[in-house]
Amino acid sequence: MAEKLGVYICGGCEIGKALDLAGLAEHVKNSKVAPLCKVIKTNPVLCSPEGVAEIEADIKAEGLDGVVVCACSPRVKWDIFRFGDKIQVERVNLREQCVWSFQDDPNVPGLLTAMAQDYVRMGVTRLSKSAIPAPEIPETNKTLLVLGGGFTGMTAALNAAALNRDVLLVEKSDKLGGKALNMYKTFPLSAPYDKAQETGIDKLVAAVTANPKIKVLLNSSLESLEGAPGMFKATIGGAAYDVGAAILATGWVPGEGKYLEAFGYGKMKNVVTSAQFEEMAKNGKIVRPSDGKTPASVAFVLDMDLALKDVDYGVGAACEPPAPLPGDAAPAEGEGEKAFVYEQTESAKHLAISSEISSLVALKQAGYVAEFCPGAVAMVLYDHMMVPGINEKYYKAAQDNPAIMLTKAVVTGVAESGDGSLTVAAKDTLIGDSVELAADLVVLPTALVPVTAHEPTMNFVYRQGPHFPDLKLFDGFVDSNYICFPYETRRTGVYAAGCAHQPMTMANAREDAAGAVLKAVQCIESINRGVAVHPRSGDLSFPVFNFVRCTQCKRCTEECPFGALDDDEKGTPKPNYTRCRRCGTCMGACPERVIKFDSYNIDQIGSTIKEVQVPDDMVKGGPRVIVLVCENDAYPALDMAAFRGKSWSPYVRFIPVRCLGSVNAIWVADAMSKGVDGVMLLGCKYGDDYQCHFVKGSELCSRRKENIAESLKRLGVEAERVEQYEVAIDEYDKIPGLIERFMSEVISKFGPNPFKGY
Amino acid sequence: MSNTVRVQPDLKFVKELQQFGGESLKKCYQCATCSVVCPLSPADNPYPRKEMVWAQWGLKDRLLNDIDIWLCHNCGTCSDLCPRGAKPGDLLGALRNMAYKNLAQPNFIGKFMSGKGLPVLILIPALIYLFIWIVRAGILGTAFPLFEMNGHDLVVSKTGQIIYGGLFPGDYTIDPIFAVLALFMLFGFYSGVSNLIKSFASMPRTFIVGRKKEPSFLCSLIETIRYEVAQHTQFQDCGADEKSKKRFKGHLLTMYAFVCLFVVTTIVAVGHWGGAFLMQKVLGLTDPLTQLITLAGSTPMPLYSPVKILANVGAIMLVLGLTFLTSRRASLDKAKQGSSFDDWYLLTLIWVIALSGLGSELFRLSGLATIAYPTYYVHIVAVFMLVAYLPWSKLAHLVYRTVALAYARKIGRIPMQPVQH
Repeated sequence: MAEKLGVYICGGCEIGKALDLAGLAEHVKNSKVAPLCKVIKTNPVLCSPEGVAEIEADIKAEGLDGVVVCACSPRVKWDIFRFGDKIQVERVNLREQCVWSFQDDPNVPGLLTAMAQDYVRMGVTRLSKSAIPAPEIPETNKTLLVLGGGFTGMTAALNAAALNRDVLLVEKSDKLGGKALNMYKTFPLSAPYDKAQETGIDKLVAAVTANPKIKVLLNSSLESLEGAPGMFKATIGGAAYDVGAAILATGWVPGEGKYLEAFGYGKMKNVVTSAQFEEMAKNGKIVRPSDGKTPASVAFVLDMDLALKDVDYGVGAACEPPAPLPGDAAPAEGEGEKAFVYEQTESAKHLAISSEISSLVALKQAGYVAEFCPGAVAMVLYDHMMVPGINEKYYKAAQDNPAIMLTKAVVTGVAESGDGSLTVAAKDTLIGDSVELAADLVVLPTALVPVTAHEPTMNFVYRQGPHFPDLKLFDGFVDSNYICFPYETRRTGVYAAGCAHQPMTMANAREDAAGAVLKAVQCIESINRGVAVHPRSGDLSFPVFNFVRCTQCKRCTEECPFGALDDDEKGTPKPNYTRCRRCGTCMGACPERVIKFDSYNIDQIGSTIKEVQVPDDMVKGGPRVIVLVCENDAYPALDMAAFRGKSWSPYVRFIPVRCLGSVNAIWVADAMSKGVDGVMLLGCKYGDDYQCHFVKGSELCSRRKENIAESLKRLGVEAERVEQYEVAIDEYDKIPGLIERFMSEVISKFGPNPFKGY
Repeated sequence: MSNTVRVQPDLKFVKELQQFGGESLKKCYQCATCSVVCPLSPADNPYPRKEMVWAQWGLKDRLLNDIDIWLCHNCGTCSDLCPRGAKPGDLLGALRNMAYKNLAQPNFIGKFMSGKGLPVLILIPALIYLFIWIVRAGILGTAFPLFEMNGHDLVVSKTGQIIYGGLFPGDYTIDPIFAVLALFMLFGFYSGVSNLIKSFASMPRTFIVGRKKEPSFLCSLIETIRYEVAQHTQFQDCGADEKSKKRFKGHLLTMYAFVCLFVVTTIVAVGHWGGAFLMQKVLGLTDPLTQLITLAGSTPMPLYSPVKILANVGAIMLVLGLTFLTSRRASLDKAKQGSSFDDWYLLTLIWVIALSGLGSELFRLSGLATIAYPTYYVHIVAVFMLVAYLPWSKLAHLVYRTVALAYARKIGRIPMQPVQH
């Protein structure tokens, strides 16, 4: 715990103009928190070299162990206000949250001062309840396990070897190469990006085979993965291997033919998939399967309307009713020991998901027609020609080929005549409202279905099961949040690359493999320093359990978004620190409050809340509202709002939290018992297109809120006084309105908290 | 919903179009910028976007029967603004070039016109007139004779003047040949126009609210001549930049120069054959009217003759117009808008005619026989080519475009009167 604190109040950036700094310092000196503060000073510009030097001098002279910087947002100048491992720093955001976002009203003076005083005391209290964590540093294994010996897996293995890592490369089949072995050519991998080229897979296989850092296991699968990052135990072919982190590059399998039946696939001999067409090209001859003749016209059908018309995309149906929280209901009879069944996620939707690749494949194979069948035409009927990025050049080049004819079309059917020749019917085309095209051969796209749509693949020996959770959201592709955290999965230490991650070109897979390797290396290098991986990279804290008070309710083990916690037969949680991402969801879940972090805990935030001065008379002193703000998105949005001159009620007090998932119900109770009139929870968007850094935090919070509302009702407090809002990082303009609405609708409607003044 | 159409792509036709000046047609990705920026394209089924995709698929029937290629006046705005450099303007130009080559009979001339056969086409008049020159030189005793009048006859005289009619007597070596050529040309146009109108048969009729009855073709033709030909109304709307204005001026000047020269030729022909031959020689008339008509047809004319003045004004207009047109074409950004062989062929030919015509007059007046006669020879050969191959050259647009625009008026594809801006 920090006990000798220095409090520094900055006067820069208009803070000094709007606030009486000396008065603020005087207030701290006379407040309840004064005994904790060895030094209380003001400074005109605290971030100046002189200001920083003054703090450093005080640290030395007074033996400070904590510094409360009352200046700007913790999101800026964090590199300036940093005083070594031994000194904790707390930032009080006087600039954004006081002077930039509120101007004192001459009719109601003193509101800004009251706000600043609250925040400084809250900051001192918060820091005083924080300690520097001392994690145990585990023995780490640096070997990388790469699953999948295809293009992505081999590229990853070579990248890892180049970083001087030992690699264990596991391939299910009897040879390396994967899907690229069946390909005649691939889309361009290098400048000028306008010609299909050799895959180069043979060279890659040779390089992998020759690399002494890479151990290749053929005809093998990962039977189980036990333990935690840095100290995984992988069972492959009955043998155990120690590995540090894993790269999932198991790739894809062709989608099932049944989804293409509407186009005559399976019934008409001359209707083939692009995978079959590729094989013909690979074997050097493109012919009609019915009679072995060279086709004079080939139609590439990309519009999958017929296959997709009954697909439910579930738009708007994302939010299912919340499942009851674990531990809320007693387990039903006979539950518990059910055999695990992996949910199959292949559907016709994979055709749509693969459409970028399908577009490129059609362009490439249309080029094969010109190459193998002189004089023949290749007709490409597309719904969307999806060629993002550099592949636009490939599209342009393909277009220039006179034998390739393209039109947007809605394909309505394929018919077969006696000799096996086909007629493709289409509407809404560029060459007519309703047209028929004669084709000797029809080529349909091959859906790229990730292996993980069919099997758990990693076979984790984890409390939450052998698989990645919620893969249905991504139709079986291993992804967690591709915008914010590419490569990362819901299981720390496992990084996805290539077509297991999303359908992609070999050029993209090459980059994906490199990215995943870097992530895996980063993970190991974080673990061996005892710090967290993304998104709290470098965080030393870790959850500490007070098992004496644990009631084995399993909330924490079930709710951890990353499956970090295992448990024993009785249900006592077993933390695996290297799997943990330090979001605090377990801390928020625990009804007994047995989980804490040294630098972030229940008592700390509770005490901070209690430090808010609540006037006994709401009419005279105004209401008070506590806003618990997710520090990942909502807090920066607030900063931006202040930066852009937005303002809001002077009666709210913001308290940053790691994630709304870490909000424990007791904090709301603390606030209510203190007489606070309302609690706002500002967190990320949740649901199918969640933006939560910890995937489940804001969603869990919204479910827990129902329970909180119940408890409040029992106490005679209106449930509406606690409300959660979803805020994206760019919605800074929305936040002031949310606060105003809460203040006017909730506080005006219900009046003062009945507990006020107790 | 229209009926289902069977589409038959034609790879050969695509390649053919590319050779005729549409080499960039494959680059189009159907964004429709061209149709949006075109100042002339109608709102309903606008060109040239649809022509681009038809061309990519080689839909020959549709393109060869498409009236819209004649509505385009080729300002090049579409090609300028095309984000892909597909040059839609060039494609429509290529389609017109194709039409020139194929519409009129005998169409082997069209094939010869496209470059490789051109020397043969030049050799025909060159040899005919060289032969005449040699024979006449044998008779006259010199290849560069000077003449003086002896009564009604011309005699060679060292002190005389240059008279082209002396070397190439009009009655025997010019007029009969050109009369045959004119007939040949008219037959070419007859077959070309009937093929053209046949090809438009499949064009849909546009329903126009308030229009009672489809106007007659003649009525449409008169309106076309009144607006598009006489005033260049569509041409003026086509393109708003400096280059387009230059082109408009150049084209208008060139056309009226031709009108002037046509009037001069007509006066001379009527004066000679109507006055001197028919009225004087055959009917033996000597009244003042006959004398006046005869005078109008007698060449060389004195410089103060109103007919000669008109001829010289026409010649100057022609040179001016050609200068505008040539400088514009030369300054085109090749990456945006190409010029086909046919474009340069026609410009060059008219330049040769204009310069050799002016040269013939100037050298004649300055008495430089050794230069004057070869210049005149070049002039006749060039005029021969212009007239004889007219239905297969780019200049044929004066007939085909007029007919097409009249037809487009008739079926409602363009409004009867130009829309006032």
